[in-house]
Amino acid sequence: MEPLRILEVDGHLLGPSPLPLEEIRRLFTALLTVRAYDHKASALQRQGRLATYAQFEGQEAAQVGSAAALRPDDWMVATYRDAAAMWMQGYPWDTLLLGRMGDERGGAPPAGVNVLPPSITVGAHMIHAVGLGWAEQMRGTGRIAITYFGDGATSEGDFHEAMNFAGVYRTPTVFVCQNNGWAISMSRERQTASETIAQKGAAYGVPGVLVDGNDLLAVFDATRDAVDRARRGEGATLIEAVTQRIGPHTTADDAGRYRDEATLEEWRQRDPLARVRRHLQAAGAWSEEWEHDVVTTAAAEIEAAVGRAEALAPFGPGAAFDRMFARPTAVLEAQRAALLGDGEAGA
Amino acid sequence: MTEMNMAHALNDALAVALADDDRVVMLGEDVGLTGGVFRVTDGLQERFGPQRVIDTPVAESGIVGAAFGMAIAGMRPVAEIQFLGFSYPGYDQIVSHVGRIRNRSNHRFTAPLVIRIPFGGGIGAAEHHSESSEALYAHTPGIKVVAPGTPAAAKGLLLAAIEDPDPVIFLEPIRVYRAIKEDVPEGRYTLPIGVAEVVRSGTDLTLVAYGAMLRDAGRAADALAGDGVSAEVIDLRTLSPLDAVTIVASAVKTGRVVAISEGHRTAGIASEVAAIVQEQALYSLLAPVERVTGWDTVVPLKRTERDHIPSVDRIVTAARRTLED
Amino acid sequence: MAFEFHLPDIGEGLAEATIVSWRVPVGGRVGLDEPMVEIETDKAVVEIPAPRAGVILQHGAPEGATIAVESLLVVIGEEGETWTPAPVAGPQARSGALARPIVGNLEEAAGAPVPPGRARALPVLRRLAATLGVDLASVRGTGPGARILRSDVEAAARGAGPVERVRLSPTRLAIARNLTRSWQEIPHVTTFGSADPTALLAVRSRLGEAAPMPLEALLVGAVVPVLGQFPEFNASVEGDHLVMRKHYDIGIAVDTPDGLMVAVVRAAETRDTAGVAAEIVRLATAARSRSIAATDLRGATFTISNIGAVGGGYGTPIIPYGTTAILSVGRADPKPVVRDGAIVVGRELPLSLSYDHRVIDGARGRAFLAAIISAIETITG
Repeated sequence: MEPLRILEVDGHLLGPSPLPLEEIRRLFTALLTVRAYDHKASALQRQGRLATYAQFEGQEAAQVGSAAALRPDDWMVATYRDAAAMWMQGYPWDTLLLGRMGDERGGAPPAGVNVLPPSITVGAHMIHAVGLGWAEQMRGTGRIAITYFGDGATSEGDFHEAMNFAGVYRTPTVFVCQNNGWAISMSRERQTASETIAQKGAAYGVPGVLVDGNDLLAVFDATRDAVDRARRGEGATLIEAVTQRIGPHTTADDAGRYRDEATLEEWRQRDPLARVRRHLQAAGAWSEEWEHDVVTTAAAEIEAAVGRAEALAPFGPGAAFDRMFARPTAVLEAQRAALLGDGEAGA
Repeated sequence: MTEMNMAHALNDALAVALADDDRVVMLGEDVGLTGGVFRVTDGLQERFGPQRVIDTPVAESGIVGAAFGMAIAGMRPVAEIQFLGFSYPGYDQIVSHVGRIRNRSNHRFTAPLVIRIPFGGGIGAAEHHSESSEALYAHTPGIKVVAPGTPAAAKGLLLAAIEDPDPVIFLEPIRVYRAIKEDVPEGRYTLPIGVAEVVRSGTDLTLVAYGAMLRDAGRAADALAGDGVSAEVIDLRTLSPLDAVTIVASAVKTGRVVAISEGHRTAGIASEVAAIVQEQALYSLLAPVERVTGWDTVVPLKRTERDHIPSVDRIVTAARRTLED
Repeated sequence: MAFEFHLPDIGEGLAEATIVSWRVPVGGRVGLDEPMVEIETDKAVVEIPAPRAGVILQHGAPEGATIAVESLLVVIGEEGETWTPAPVAGPQARSGALARPIVGNLEEAAGAPVPPGRARALPVLRRLAATLGVDLASVRGTGPGARILRSDVEAAARGAGPVERVRLSPTRLAIARNLTRSWQEIPHVTTFGSADPTALLAVRSRLGEAAPMPLEALLVGAVVPVLGQFPEFNASVEGDHLVMRKHYDIGIAVDTPDGLMVAVVRAAETRDTAGVAAEIVRLATAARSRSIAATDLRGATFTISNIGAVGGGYGTPIIPYGTTAILSVGRADPKPVVRDGAIVVGRELPLSLSYDHRVIDGARGRAFLAAIISAIETITG
């Protein structure tokens, strides 16, 4: 399989662009913004203000390009590394940060934003997207569900169950695998004996598409096709976006232990933002000043979100008891009373 | 009122639910075309169509995960796992996601689904088909666990479970699917989840049971009555949250408690009942709380399974021990 | 305002890290999130970006040093600002009260009715009751929620016939405590005598026309000068010292519904008889109406107890703790007395003096009593 590519590393087009120039400029703004978030979140983690953070640098085009093909009310079920995609679909920076700070309000996007909290487990969540899409299909709303996962997740049994259900029931589910080369320290080659992940779709009767994950336009194009297919009731698609995780697995990892500098440098040369910049430059649609303004504005917005998230007081000690059910049971009330020291436990 | 066994009563409940609320869908292995291996879902696919009553591949994790996604999207799925012993591949989806989504999203996303699971042994089934590991689910936050013991209660509880805004594991006692018949009201009615019922009033001791063991508790009460001992019988109905108020009131009244469960002894439901009784009714106790349970062994196969499942004799013996001074 | 930044746990359970290199020297300027220092943990070498923009005022440790998580890493402030380390704070107080344990609550479920005849008792006590032949149904529990305690069972086993248990009042318990102390610590000797009450009663009659004249007021007037000559009777024993007081705060025993109280007439030596009388009346009224101030019940240096008011004669009064003597005065009933060699009907005022034999010998005690008798017999008011 040859990966679909539209935008070359040097910025020129290999075929017709799926997007008008103005739209590419808008998406470039998004790429700059999410990269600024990734850098800020990494800094916050190293300052002890966020718990472990999983950087997505290098994967911006795979997330922004695919998310750009969605309708605002489509479902998204993504992972801890997909803040960029989630933000594109309406998940606020504040909420993403709260999640990384260890506050359950980080799992609550605003009403109308159909994005589930980022999945921390690997491989268990794609089936949720199958169920979501399936339900929307039953109700004829036209909404589809997109799910993001990595190369490692395809080894989990639940990937198989999700793909199988999607194939059998032709659910409107778009599976986006960001093959970023690594599952912590396990290289893609050792994760599966399959030559590509995209070809696994065939086993389920689901079309598989291989895409250059660092090519914003190719990712957009492939996802738009898949989304349209799903909305037409033609079923699911598996997209493999080949990309690279430039940073470590998380801020608690040292990628130098398992990845060599040469590989890293090679991928840096194929940076997703650089090629869009070159394309815009060639089209006269870019200036250094303009990019600087975009980055400054984004940094300020993100800084404000950090301020808001950090200013939110944590839950009090008895709050967990209210989060189990619509209303706490007598058992939970008794335990809360014991914790707060003002009554009798035992229920 | 119609006389029904539990399988029929459950079938009736599902029919009512499917008819009343088009958010309700059923999914599971063999639930549609063949009406379920215990025929609990018999006739439903014919009546409501394959879009509402869905046969699935053999994929317990997939069934639970897909139902979970559907529930978040606003449906009221009723998933079936064919036997409690087969639920383990889906256990991760239940414990890691179904029971956690409300907490994880601070109420923003919820999962009002029901997972129906036949459980318990005593029908000479093959290995893995006789499990009574409900304690694993009772120990899990964020889900409710219900186990009826009689047809009318089963119908009311299942309808309540389907209406509940939170996930419910609904355990159906296999060996009494057809063994008990009673009058069951027609139409829609619900019984409250989290409330145990004193199904037989007594003064000398309390038998606490659920599921298939409820019938055996009743038989034990009959045997004791023959000796002039008046046994009160409590049907727990909900295993999590347990109804401590009803349990304790009875313990205070009689002073003697026998907690009965087919599940393994260690860390089982009977242990929780005993903990509650000693915590809140110690001064009324005339004897230690007895536990009559399955053993901490793998459930034996057909030929010797009766040594594992608590018998009426074991219940009566334990009850008599509480009467010793 | 200098910002102190402490080494965070950046590696999921990190305990310490080594400073590899400072990117910005002390005095150097750093921008928000710019590289500030490189540290090495068990897992990786990590660069920590500056949490604030500003000037580095202090490095928490030099390159090569290993520091613990939570220790000071850097101080960032403004140009020209100085920073001094704050004093080491004590361990943080544990926030929140200790929660009650989940198990171990021994109260009954709220609202559960106790069947009539069913006593609430630990199973071990039921067994004990059975062993002792006690019917629990007839035992009244004195524990929380009318729970039967071990002591209840044991008492029931001992007791023959019905009893009434009354809880002692705090006042009674205080009286009991003080008397026990006096009795245990002070070697008591009581010496007896009597006085001719003619003059005393005549003076009382005369002065009592104007205002109530309690007998105690006259006795105070007679006693105070004698105490001046016998200072060891207006004293207290404190360790190996005898502390003789130079003021005369005379305690007057007052009988109240709550028990015997000693109300104190302060500085009796400064008051005239009428003044003492008025004060005694005030104190007695206050004591009986339970409105007497605690200060009026403390600090007597010598005590007079008029047991004659309740028909008493001689007695063996107990010395109030903190003093060395007490005088009890009985009723001067008519009785046969010897006058001028003949038996006539006369009155004798019974006097009982208890004193602390550690510091007062018998001869001294007799001498004091003789002086009191003389003072009473020659009283003029």
